[in-house]
Amino acid sequence: MRTYIDQIRAIIWKDLVLELRTRERIAAMGAFAVLAAILFNFSIDTTSTRPEDVAAGLIWMTLVFGGLLGVGRTFYLESQDNALLGLLTSPVPKDAIYLAKTLANFALLFIVSVLVLGVFALFFGLDLGANVGGIILVLGLGSLGFVALGTLFAAISTGTTMGETLLPILVFPLLVPMVIYGVTSTGRLIAGRPFDEVEGNVRMLGAFAVAALAAGAMLFRYVVED
Amino acid sequence: MTRLVLEAKGLAREYGPVVAVDDVNLSLGEGEFLTVFGPNGAGKSSLLGMLGGAMRPTRGHVLIRGQRLAYSDVEWRHQVGILSHRGFLYGQLTVEENLRFYGRLFGLTDLDQRIPERLERVGLADRIRFQVRQLSHGMRQRLSLARALLHDPDVILLDEPYTGLDPSAAGVLRGVLAGLRDGRRTVVMVTHNLKEGLELATRVAIQVSGRFAWEGTQADVGGEAFERHYHRVVEGRS
Amino acid sequence: MATAGMRRGGTALTLVGLAGLVFVYWMSFFWVSTEINQGVVQRIFYVHVPAAWTSFMAFGFSALASAMYLWLRDDRLDRAALCAAEGGLVFGTIVLTTGPLWGKIAWGTYWTWEPRLTLTLLLWFIFVGYFMVRNSTEDPEKGKRFAAVVAIIGALDIPFIHMSVIWFRSLHPEPVVAKPDGPSLPADMLTTLLTSLAVFTVIFLGLFLYRYALEGLRAEADLRSRSTAT
Repeated sequence: MRTYIDQIRAIIWKDLVLELRTRERIAAMGAFAVLAAILFNFSIDTTSTRPEDVAAGLIWMTLVFGGLLGVGRTFYLESQDNALLGLLTSPVPKDAIYLAKTLANFALLFIVSVLVLGVFALFFGLDLGANVGGIILVLGLGSLGFVALGTLFAAISTGTTMGETLLPILVFPLLVPMVIYGVTSTGRLIAGRPFDEVEGNVRMLGAFAVAALAAGAMLFRYVVED
Repeated sequence: MTRLVLEAKGLAREYGPVVAVDDVNLSLGEGEFLTVFGPNGAGKSSLLGMLGGAMRPTRGHVLIRGQRLAYSDVEWRHQVGILSHRGFLYGQLTVEENLRFYGRLFGLTDLDQRIPERLERVGLADRIRFQVRQLSHGMRQRLSLARALLHDPDVILLDEPYTGLDPSAAGVLRGVLAGLRDGRRTVVMVTHNLKEGLELATRVAIQVSGRFAWEGTQADVGGEAFERHYHRVVEGRS
Repeated sequence: MATAGMRRGGTALTLVGLAGLVFVYWMSFFWVSTEINQGVVQRIFYVHVPAAWTSFMAFGFSALASAMYLWLRDDRLDRAALCAAEGGLVFGTIVLTTGPLWGKIAWGTYWTWEPRLTLTLLLWFIFVGYFMVRNSTEDPEKGKRFAAVVAIIGALDIPFIHMSVIWFRSLHPEPVVAKPDGPSLPADMLTTLLTSLAVFTVIFLGLFLYRYALEGLRAEADLRSRSTAT
């Protein structure tokens, strides 16, 4: 068990150090988020729609598309020198590899999701007030569910001839429950409603993330098998 | 007779309709060095992939010290080290960070002594703080060898280790590989380069269209004669 | 031989099913009484509901066979999963075309986010992904495993999708017309629906067996062409 945890920590450490040195994915995701917020700002007619009414949906769309950008490249950083094969032939259980990669992705996407929230609050003039913690929790659970599925399917799409183009086709239908629960709870919290009102939805988001993590950990070994 | 270390029984691998490896049997004892020759597409890399646990055999199985290996099991992977012409290294990590990362994956605890010692052996001690992308191809290949040997495996698998090396780098690598013949380790190398393959081998096999078309020792067919023999075997079968 | 028998069985079942379909059409057009509130358009449900039931069953079966395939690695299970998924996609397409046709007349709009229709649409797309993954790998074995993972995750996602779309729906106004398949269905309508259900199941089984036998023959042919090649 101690080895198992240290193996996971080693992979997370390696992924985050690589990200820190190259800044490839976080820069792409961050820039995408800010630019998307700018575009979204011009995509709504403020005479007929109040920005705070649509902000939750736009935040989640930014998160999903931006996340796709980063998560889709999870296994490219392993492929430059065939390092994935080094990982797979080491005595690390496949579920540990999956969990480590997912958690490293989560760290990146969570940072981006907080950035997205900040940017939208700024551009759309949202008053988050006392609910800011609740919103961050919702975005965190959403990010976790997203990377849990995204990392598994990134491994699949990387192994196909279609590559990253396949990723959205595979994950979008699966993400519908997460988007429904996430957008409605974020929307209500932005509107200043109490957290109790969205608690059920937040639980569902949590359940979705946990189920996706468990399924991914079980099935990842069949994806990376050769 | 030395103790059997690495065995393969009826090993086969198919990719849908393509047969890469077809019914390969081998048994190697301690200290033996087998070189498998063969033209491109003969299935050499697939064979090595199965021996190293990177690929699941379609049929047959591999044994280490009589123990049958399950593809999904991870414990036996401690006993195998793999060196390919792709280094399994991360360019943005330093030499030390790469080794430390692999060391942790293998659950090694004495990395503070082990890493400098291994780097000394492959002549990279002075590069410990360099990022791998700053190293020459030859140095990377030696670092990769240090990576493969870090956990002190009994079985070492070499997949075209000389690919892309200039003569002097190849010479250095040859010296390090010669050190593997310490009587304790079992080595399998696959290559299509006859000269480099023969130098260190105690046993030789020629793989054509997935099968072992010929097996023997250095003494059976030495030097110049081997080249003629090799072409005869390859052309006779394909 | 087993494959030939299966193909004959598949053909026979399909023919029986098609004959039954003629009967179902006769029942739903001429025999069953017209529903009072919705009128003639309600008759489309004798196709829509059984098709939905069949496609869900097919997708469930495909996911189950996929899980068993990953466990036992028997190619026959993969073939079963593939053929069931194809059937699911065909019957799902029927659901997705008959639903809007009915919706246009009953609700005045081609598409509504009715929970079961939404679930069918998402499942349909998940299984489109199943086929895309399957056909875009160089090593066919890898494609089989990837597809199996997609089917399993899709099946596990169903409860979440189901709950979320029902919940999402509850935010919106209820449909104008009550759902026709309530518990108080008149006897002749129930008979028609159940007959149709049985017929659709038979057609699915027939097509499934036929396709399954065909895949078996293809695998055999592959094997034979390989042994002559080497």
